[in-house]
Amino acid sequence: MLDSEDRMKKNGRFMVGLVGVATVVTYLIWTGVSETMVYYMTPVELIEKVGEDPTFHDVGVKVGGMVIPGTYSRVEGELLHVFTVRDLVDEASTFVVEYRDALPDTFTDASEVVLEGRLRSDGIFEANVLLTKCGSRYEASPEELAGTSQ
Amino acid sequence: MTIIGEFALWISLPIAAWGMVLGYAGGRTLRGDLVLSAERSIYMVFVLLLVASLGVGAAFLGDRFEFWYVANYSNANLELFYKITGLWAGQRGSLLFWALLLALFAVITVVTNRKKHREFMPYVVGVLQTILLFFIVVLLFADVNPFERLAFTPADGRGLNPQLQNYWMTIHPPTLYLGFTAFTIPFAFAVAALLNGRLDARWIQLTRRWILTSWLFLSVGIVFGMRWAYEELGWGGYWFWDPVENASLLPWLTATAFLHSVQIQENRGMLKVWNMSLVLLTFLLTIFATFLTRSGLIESVHSFAQELKIAYIFLGFMGTVMAASVVLIIYRLPQLRSENQIESFLSRESAFLFNNLLLLGAAFSVMWGTMFPLISEGFTGQEISVGPPFFERVNFPIGLVLLTLVGIGPVIAWRRASKRNLQKNFTIPIAVGVVTGIALFGLGARHELPLVTWSISAFVLTVIVTEFWKGTRARARIEGEGHLLAFFHLITRNRRRWGGYTVHIGFVLMCIGFAGAGYNQDTRFNVQPGDVVSVASPFGHVYDLTYEGLSMSIGRGERNLLWQAIATVSVSQDGTPKGILTTEKRQYTNRDTQPMTEVGIRSIVSEDLYLILSAMNDTGGALSNDPGAQGIDLQVLIKPLVSWIWIGCLFIALGTVIALWPNVDRARLAREKAEEKAGLATAAAH
Repeated sequence: MLDSEDRMKKNGRFMVGLVGVATVVTYLIWTGVSETMVYYMTPVELIEKVGEDPTFHDVGVKVGGMVIPGTYSRVEGELLHVFTVRDLVDEASTFVVEYRDALPDTFTDASEVVLEGRLRSDGIFEANVLLTKCGSRYEASPEELAGTSQ
Repeated sequence: MTIIGEFALWISLPIAAWGMVLGYAGGRTLRGDLVLSAERSIYMVFVLLLVASLGVGAAFLGDRFEFWYVANYSNANLELFYKITGLWAGQRGSLLFWALLLALFAVITVVTNRKKHREFMPYVVGVLQTILLFFIVVLLFADVNPFERLAFTPADGRGLNPQLQNYWMTIHPPTLYLGFTAFTIPFAFAVAALLNGRLDARWIQLTRRWILTSWLFLSVGIVFGMRWAYEELGWGGYWFWDPVENASLLPWLTATAFLHSVQIQENRGMLKVWNMSLVLLTFLLTIFATFLTRSGLIESVHSFAQELKIAYIFLGFMGTVMAASVVLIIYRLPQLRSENQIESFLSRESAFLFNNLLLLGAAFSVMWGTMFPLISEGFTGQEISVGPPFFERVNFPIGLVLLTLVGIGPVIAWRRASKRNLQKNFTIPIAVGVVTGIALFGLGARHELPLVTWSISAFVLTVIVTEFWKGTRARARIEGEGHLLAFFHLITRNRRRWGGYTVHIGFVLMCIGFAGAGYNQDTRFNVQPGDVVSVASPFGHVYDLTYEGLSMSIGRGERNLLWQAIATVSVSQDGTPKGILTTEKRQYTNRDTQPMTEVGIRSIVSEDLYLILSAMNDTGGALSNDPGAQGIDLQVLIKPLVSWIWIGCLFIALGTVIALWPNVDRARLAREKAEEKAGLATAAAH
């Protein structure tokens, strides 16, 4: 058996180790967040924000919106997709998106997309990441189901 | 049949409630009639949930599109196989399926324990019925009833998303659910131990197989999901730190921590409160994952309102479980005191503790990153999200330290490691690790993270293989057996230990595979038939890929397929022909207007060659078989060491099965019987 003083010392050294690990993990999380975070906005918020603060044109953001049907086109001869995205609620808030990569299969010209990139000062959103809503959670409203029955 | 199923679901509600009350009452009073009735209620609920599930199955097989759930996840043309698996295709069926699996495990628990561990069983039944009752209430009252009818009958359903029509996606959710639900049994025993006051390591020993079973299914289930993403999503990755993936990783991290920390309790009588807390946390995370994976709460914050009811019910349940368990733990604190102290910084206990801390740190960071959009919106009104870079920045270092501990933990001594112990066990492995690092650097490996990972992996593998070798050699000498036989006996005589080491080998192999991603190559080409493109592998050889052309096949809506465009590519490696690969676009009816991609993968031990038909230059022309419209965008990926992730998973599964394999140990059986009698006496005294 250890006497209590010795035990305190052992525990003390041990606590230093534990606290050390906890500190490092916290530090990693803290710096990780501050260096990798992106604002997740709606098109309305983004357009408003760049209006107030023009430097926001250079800040990377994540934006969720709807692709407007019929606006999709692919630039001939290169891997460049262009389409227009609108706000989920406010249909008047829109911007043109340029995306240079292969589109995911779930992309259609009427899908809900999440884009990462920046809204350039010429008003075009340059996206480097494009995600569509995951398929396993697509569920139709009764109106949509009624549509398939016709 | 469907009607009967719906009735069965309703009837299961009062039965589960009845069983729950009787379970707790039986535990309190130890009246045999109450306990027996409670146990029988488990059988009843299982049968009723089975009937309900068959009811959903019948609705799928009978194309009953008046049911909202069937209309959303099936259509007349869907393959039979996917109609059968429709039960877990969406949220509603999944919740029923979850409850069914839990009821099945509850039945197994009750049957196998009908003559033993009686001091635990009433409370165990009470807890299990509480959780079953919760799921039944959710199914019936949270707008997720799989038997909900539409006001009209659509002529056809929407069909199953073609991306989900994949073998791995069919087995991935049930495997994960088996893991989630199996963990409920250890949780039930832990709560029972808190309630009946039997707070030694008994509940852990009783549930060891359940813990391992749960962990096996969780691990394999997560890897199945990775495999699906790799084959089906068409971008060549297997992990995206998506909220749904993260949600399944969280309970795995805490369950892994638990698997390690229970060994300290068994061996040294320490960390009792910690283990209780880990069981509770893991259980809550399995519920959280069940909720999150099928609700889409995080990505679709804007449609949060639709999910509000079920979100509140789940959060309320989780909060109640947490509060009740914490109160119980505090109430039992005096009996949960540690029997020993950590004696040295350099000891196996200490290695296990650091392992636990790191796993929990990883879990916390994953949770934080996943919930960050919600947290930031709650506090600042501005939604801020963090992506894969965040998770990688935090978890790669943690993973590397954990990997190192895999090499240290098993061979460092309990209580206090001597200098000799350390020198003896680690000199050669460290040397091997360093030499591996230098050799790889000499061969041209320059990326730091993979280089470090592979060096540490070499260190860890050396430690484990040395252990196997030393054990086998000693046994061969002492027992006079051949080495092969000695190796076999070595494992069978202590399955737990050697099974655990096998799992560790699997983990190391997976890490080696993950690190290969540092050398991924990605090249895009626009090719016409006859074009040859060359891609160099990081291993030094060169692939020459000849695009042979597109072949179109027009379906007539069979299996929901409208048309299929197959691009054929001949592969040759350093001038030697290696056969052909195909990659396709498929257009399905009913679902999306955009075609799906099927990738072509050529897998060898060192790397995968991964071809993606990104786009056709002129889809319309190709469809009308215009010979001038055969140009395509071809994406060529080289994924070094990817196979080792799947091979590593096989080792993990093998090792867990070794550890799970029943021991026929007559001496222990007799001892258990004796303890059983003692246990009954304690329970009676209580």
